[in-house]
Amino acid sequence: MSRLAAVCVALVLVAGSAANAQDDPGRFEVRSASAGLDPGMNVWFLDARLELRLSAEAREALESGVPLSVRVEVEIIHVRRWLLDRENASLTQLYELQYHPLLERYTVRNVNSGTLDTYATLFAALNSLGRIDRLPVIDTALLDPERVYDVRLRVLLDTEQLPGPLRLLAFWRRDWSLGSEWFRWNLEEE
Amino acid sequence: MKNVFYGTLLVAAAALWIVGLLLFSQVTENSDDFARWTNWIFLINAVGIIVLVSLIAGNLFRLIRDHRRQVPGSRLETRVVTLLSVLAIAPLVVVYSFSVEFINRGIDEWFNVDVEQGLGNAIELSQTALDLQTRDSVAALEAMARVLNSGEGRNDLATEVGRLQRERGARELTIFGPNNQIVATSAEDPEAAVPPPPSEEMLLRFRQPAVDSSLAAAGVPQRSDDLVLAGRPGEPYVNLEPTADGSFQITTAVALDPQLGTGETQILRAVFPVPPRFSELANSVEGSFNQFTGLDFQRTALKYGFTLTLSLVLLIALLASVYGAFYSARRLIGPIQQLMQGTQAVARGDLDTRLPAAPHDEIGFLVNSFNDMTRRLATARQEARTSEQLVDSERQKLAVILARLSTGVVSLEPDMRIRTANGAASAIFGADLESHIGESLEELSETRPQLAQFLTVARAHTERHETEWREQIVLRDDAGRRVLMCTCTELPAEESTPGGFVVVFDDVTELLQAQRDAAWGEVARRLAHEIKNPLTPIQLSAERLRRRYLDAETGKLDLLDRSTHTIIQQVEAMKDMVNAFSEYARAPVMELSFVDINELIGEVAELYRHQEKPVAIEIASEPKLPRIEADIGRMRQVLHNLMRNALEATENRTDAHIDIATRFIAADARESVEIVVTDNGPGFSADIVDRAFEPYVTSKAKGTGLGLAIVKKLIEEHGGQIRAGNGEHGGARIVILLPASGASGAAHVDTGNEQRRELA
Repeated sequence: MSRLAAVCVALVLVAGSAANAQDDPGRFEVRSASAGLDPGMNVWFLDARLELRLSAEAREALESGVPLSVRVEVEIIHVRRWLLDRENASLTQLYELQYHPLLERYTVRNVNSGTLDTYATLFAALNSLGRIDRLPVIDTALLDPERVYDVRLRVLLDTEQLPGPLRLLAFWRRDWSLGSEWFRWNLEEE
Repeated sequence: MKNVFYGTLLVAAAALWIVGLLLFSQVTENSDDFARWTNWIFLINAVGIIVLVSLIAGNLFRLIRDHRRQVPGSRLETRVVTLLSVLAIAPLVVVYSFSVEFINRGIDEWFNVDVEQGLGNAIELSQTALDLQTRDSVAALEAMARVLNSGEGRNDLATEVGRLQRERGARELTIFGPNNQIVATSAEDPEAAVPPPPSEEMLLRFRQPAVDSSLAAAGVPQRSDDLVLAGRPGEPYVNLEPTADGSFQITTAVALDPQLGTGETQILRAVFPVPPRFSELANSVEGSFNQFTGLDFQRTALKYGFTLTLSLVLLIALLASVYGAFYSARRLIGPIQQLMQGTQAVARGDLDTRLPAAPHDEIGFLVNSFNDMTRRLATARQEARTSEQLVDSERQKLAVILARLSTGVVSLEPDMRIRTANGAASAIFGADLESHIGESLEELSETRPQLAQFLTVARAHTERHETEWREQIVLRDDAGRRVLMCTCTELPAEESTPGGFVVVFDDVTELLQAQRDAAWGEVARRLAHEIKNPLTPIQLSAERLRRRYLDAETGKLDLLDRSTHTIIQQVEAMKDMVNAFSEYARAPVMELSFVDINELIGEVAELYRHQEKPVAIEIASEPKLPRIEADIGRMRQVLHNLMRNALEATENRTDAHIDIATRFIAADARESVEIVVTDNGPGFSADIVDRAFEPYVTSKAKGTGLGLAIVKKLIEEHGGQIRAGNGEHGGARIVILLPASGASGAAHVDTGNEQRRELA
């Protein structure tokens, strides 16, 4: 039995050492967000400014050639007075951030649209990634004008897209759990 | 059924666990499909661990508790569990530590080789090659810029741009005016859409004078071999970039000389393709490099993943093997425990213990043998019990028979202590032997003379070591003389009983008496017959003699007269005697009626009060005496005889007096009336007191000697008893016991009749 206990202790120690935080914990945050209606197209567009700062370990992984995925989630929520709120529609934008050692440049690929942008610096790449301009969210035809809707937005580092071993590690380490809180506001004409 | 269920559950759990581990190892490898299962797999493993831990904890708790309570088998179970656990854990731990060591070292080994260096060199080589391409592109751009700056074809800018693009092999050539408006453009692909606007990075180059400081502020690493060759306005902008289709292109830009007319700066942008082979190779090199550095980065993660997987496998395997140890120990110990409990139960005497069937192995064989054994034992005990009951009931029957037997039976220990005795024996010895079982006969005999008499005889035999003897013993007591036929047999000694004797007593007093009475009756009858026959002719002859010679010869009359008179008188007396004898031998039929014995006594006594010699007769009668069923004539004769005897006995005394007392006695559910006649005569002499009731036993000068014999006979005809003895102050004392009227009295009367018939 004592051997078993020793093994258990060893496991806990492994997990504990894995949980040791690096210097820079990183930060994902929604700075501001707003939605506007394009009268001509009858479509709601989203503008948002996100602050994205990678943790030291994530940055190291990126520079070692591991592609990182950043997911932006947008949800339209039907606010009901007496019942629980109900999700009406949702939209996910997935961006893939990668470092190219050959070019010594960073690329951001929009997985949804397939466009590829290159940046000389990580700062520029993250800055560009954090600037969402005129992202079409929902057609007004899909919304009931009588109802009240909320929009909420969050951004997070998608650890599920990481390669296996890192994913396992990310499961335990706080360094990898980067994500903003939900940023929520009322969907209405300004 | 329960076993099947548990077995299925166990197999299912094991399968689930193995699948979980397989999935886990899949996750550890680079397989995206299982990404979302990670948590579930952890959960399954965690649940498995929790279940196993709680099972083990439960088992451990139970084992410790059993051990404390010293439940049979718990020590063996502890030993088996420990042994199995150690046997299972030791190799697991060894394999585990080797595996972890091996994996860690192996993973480190992979990255130890000089692959990284080679790949770095390849990257550098690619960069150099691409650099050459870039320089060519820049040269081409500068040449085009020179053409445009010279003012050639300024009038038809679109045509000139198209010509230059085709001539220089550019994919796209565009002139941007102020506000990024397209002044002229030409593309390789005529169907291409509007060219994309210049990138911010490019614009930054041309719009801001202090490029270096701005770049530094933007965090762009400053390198000596930076591909961005330009540093000042006028210097061309170059950027090698990947395209969405995976190839590379070189975007170059240069500021054209400000136009004379407007004075605005125009930017000439040219995009040159990188040859496909170049792109392919560069991509391949970069891919390999990325993969390698990525893996290198993941080295710790990989180790961590493998170690975690291994640890989980180990933990679950350990827990499972420990639980398995508990389980198999219990499977092994269970039947043994049951066997132990079974044997204890059998030892306590519970032979109905049956153990549940065990598996078909040696223990199962043992269990079956045990069940077989207890079954046989139970059967044997049942049989023993049945026979015991049989013996018991036999003994009870025997006891009942013994109790009803008129023969006394006493069994004795070798040291003369009473083992058993029946009622008849107690009656014979006049001592309640049944309540003195276990006591020594010798001690009892100190207060009971009858027993002492018996012991004297018995001792004589035992001193001669006779195992079987038979002897007639005469017991004397105040009730008279009794004759016992005594048979003694030695009992065989057994394991539990040490032998002893059994003595059988038959009170043959009455039998002997009856034989004697019968003999006397026969004598009397014969005597009467034989004597009577000659008496009559003797008497007739004497009378004839007297008649004839008394008339004729008067001279000699005197002698004749006296002689014949004597003859006749004596013959008469003899006749009387003979009649008395025949009276004794013959008995008329009894005429029973209810008699008040007090009244009868009064009547008879009255006759004797007025004799020539006055005698004092005292009657002390109990007033409420029950009537007795008797023949009044015979009872009267009894009283007459007794009165006559008493009178004759007191003839010589002047203060003669006779006491007659009656008493009611109720004893042993037998009611009887006692009549005691006492006189103050000389009493019975010692030599005749035992035989007072036999004919011709008398102390008197006259009388037939049949008086008391007849009394006894009559009393016995009525089912009564009679004793003769001497009173406290001398004088004869006759005690008569007559059964009071009732069933018992009648029965005695009947026996009396039978006896009489025999006598007749």
